[in-house]
Amino acid sequence: MNLHEYQAKELLLAVGVPVPPFGVVDKLQDVEKTINKLHLKEAVIKIQVHAGGRGKAGGVKFAKTPDEILQVAEKLIGMKMINNQTGLEGVIAHQVLIAPPVDIEKEYYLGAIVDRNKAEAVLIASPEGGMEIEEIAATYPDKILTVPIGMDGSVKPYHLLRLGKFMGWEKETLEQGMNIAAALGKLFIDKDASLLEINPLIESKDGKLWALDAKLSIDDNALYRHPELMSYYDPSQQSPNEVAAKKHDLAYIALEGNIGCMVNGAGLAMATMDIIKYAGGKPANFLDVGGSATAEKITEGFKILVSDPQVKAILVNIFGGIMNCATIAEGILVALKEHPIKIPLVVRMEGTNVEQGKKMLEKSGLKILTADNLTDAATRVVKEAHAHSHR
Amino acid sequence: MPILIDKKTRVITQGISGKAGRYHTEQCLLYGSKFVGGVTPGKGGQEVLDLPVFDTVDEAKKAVHPDATMIFVPAPFAANAILEAEDAGIHLIICITEGIPIRDMVEVSRVMRQSQRSRLIGPNCPGIITPDACKIGIMPGYIHKKGKIGIISRSGTLTYEAVWQTSLLGLGQSTCVGIGGDPLNGTNFIDVLKLFEKDPQTEGILLIGEIGGSAEEEAAEWIKHHCSKPVAAFIAGVTAPAGKRMGHAGAIVSGGKGAAKDKIEALKKAGVFVTESPALLGQTMLEALKK
Repeated sequence: MNLHEYQAKELLLAVGVPVPPFGVVDKLQDVEKTINKLHLKEAVIKIQVHAGGRGKAGGVKFAKTPDEILQVAEKLIGMKMINNQTGLEGVIAHQVLIAPPVDIEKEYYLGAIVDRNKAEAVLIASPEGGMEIEEIAATYPDKILTVPIGMDGSVKPYHLLRLGKFMGWEKETLEQGMNIAAALGKLFIDKDASLLEINPLIESKDGKLWALDAKLSIDDNALYRHPELMSYYDPSQQSPNEVAAKKHDLAYIALEGNIGCMVNGAGLAMATMDIIKYAGGKPANFLDVGGSATAEKITEGFKILVSDPQVKAILVNIFGGIMNCATIAEGILVALKEHPIKIPLVVRMEGTNVEQGKKMLEKSGLKILTADNLTDAATRVVKEAHAHSHR
Repeated sequence: MPILIDKKTRVITQGISGKAGRYHTEQCLLYGSKFVGGVTPGKGGQEVLDLPVFDTVDEAKKAVHPDATMIFVPAPFAANAILEAEDAGIHLIICITEGIPIRDMVEVSRVMRQSQRSRLIGPNCPGIITPDACKIGIMPGYIHKKGKIGIISRSGTLTYEAVWQTSLLGLGQSTCVGIGGDPLNGTNFIDVLKLFEKDPQTEGILLIGEIGGSAEEEAAEWIKHHCSKPVAAFIAGVTAPAGKRMGHAGAIVSGGKGAAKDKIEALKKAGVFVTESPALLGQTMLEALKK
């Protein structure tokens, strides 16, 4: 689960990381209150969306007068941001963060992730902040330091000192920086985070450190341990289809093609997208109904696919293992009864009870194209999608 | 001689009283696997499928001497179940459970990496099968055929696809190992490659990878220097967008790392036959064997 910048900042503040004062507003009437409360003469206004690249997309603006703050906020509240991270549909900023500008002496990067190879949580630090960590890694590979975070969220004092020295901090700044790094490690573990970034962490002209921007994602598998974070869930940042899929425990990701696909199992679902491309078509989505899906799940998945106007043909690819093909056929038939479709449907089934499943589809009298193998299925659905989009 | 499990392997199920644990234990028994008991805290002394149930793995170990355990414990308690099995000295721990928090897996990984006596397969995996001898997991048994291909995969149903295709072509499988789709797992590609390299029954190896992490690149490096057997491979997720988790917790391209094309390139450089079509897994294996 992704958090908004302001939510991440609230959590950082709670563990003692210095964050410049800010206000969050979702309607124009409240902007003035924030201006008065923070005594703003000028301000930075930032849209709150679950995607990076806000600055380049025009979602971060500087305003030089209180009037300008109002004007900019009016433009940014409700702004739709579209870039390579949001997909074609884009995401809408329902809130903006308003904060006084800070005089920046230097920008740093400080983050935490789980290192897959080392199988441990690590702090990542770089004195070259303000750009994406990937860019830092590519441009200044020597300017990145990682130190381990313990299972309890603690970071060894000598690791903190090494990190502080690596950043080039001295005296009070060093002490403050080490405290921030320690707090970050603790927050990362305590909240079951999968990603935590302060970028940039800035040093102001008087040598003080501040978290100017923050990013935090929580491990979905651990959300059950964090009822306190549930209010941070913001379904408005996902497409309606993604929200519907989540509700029914289906893994769905919208893509840009026109062939809807429904598959059981994540690996096979990815492979199905790949073979559609291999056959010359473009997948409209990733949809994994799970290795042990029920007829209801199949029906729900199907509803999601047919609600997408981009979809010109559908491919259902199921390798029945735990789940038997008769169940799949039943789910498809129920879905078609509730939501008759005008676009072609290709079904490829293999595995447990395959003959029975195929018979059920054939007997239904509905126009369902059955395919015997993956290549056949992909070729047919690509052909059908092509024919259908030119009608 | 297949790898890791054979007809004699004695197996218990942790979480045998649950719906999934019971169902799949029954399926494994029907396949011919030698299950000797189960564990469910609080249900010790009962029987499920005529098998004795114990409160703890330690009690099961002492009473029925299992070599392996199949874990169906729900995700919030699964890490504890793995650690309990390791502590009891079970040699092979197969964790089917999906959705274990990564923080829990950090602890499990730390223990498993230092364990001298236990090996973990998974979590979030279909399990392991040696056709006609022993099935420990959720794969449909009948698609398998005893034969000469060793299959290693991060996926479930995509593995069935590979199995089915090699069965239809008459190649069959020596052993199939699903290593799981999580970012942190017990046994990795290289561990299994080493075993297949030494196994005389295995004549060719089929590796099914996917986006995320660098396990395939590391496998490619190992194959280049140490593998004498023909290897075929498929990497799922060429069309996956960056920054999105594709169903599996571990299947994500992040920070320009973990992309399918890099993995394919690394494998090709190591002399592996890589197919771009998941419909040609068996065919590509056949071609690799002919070279």
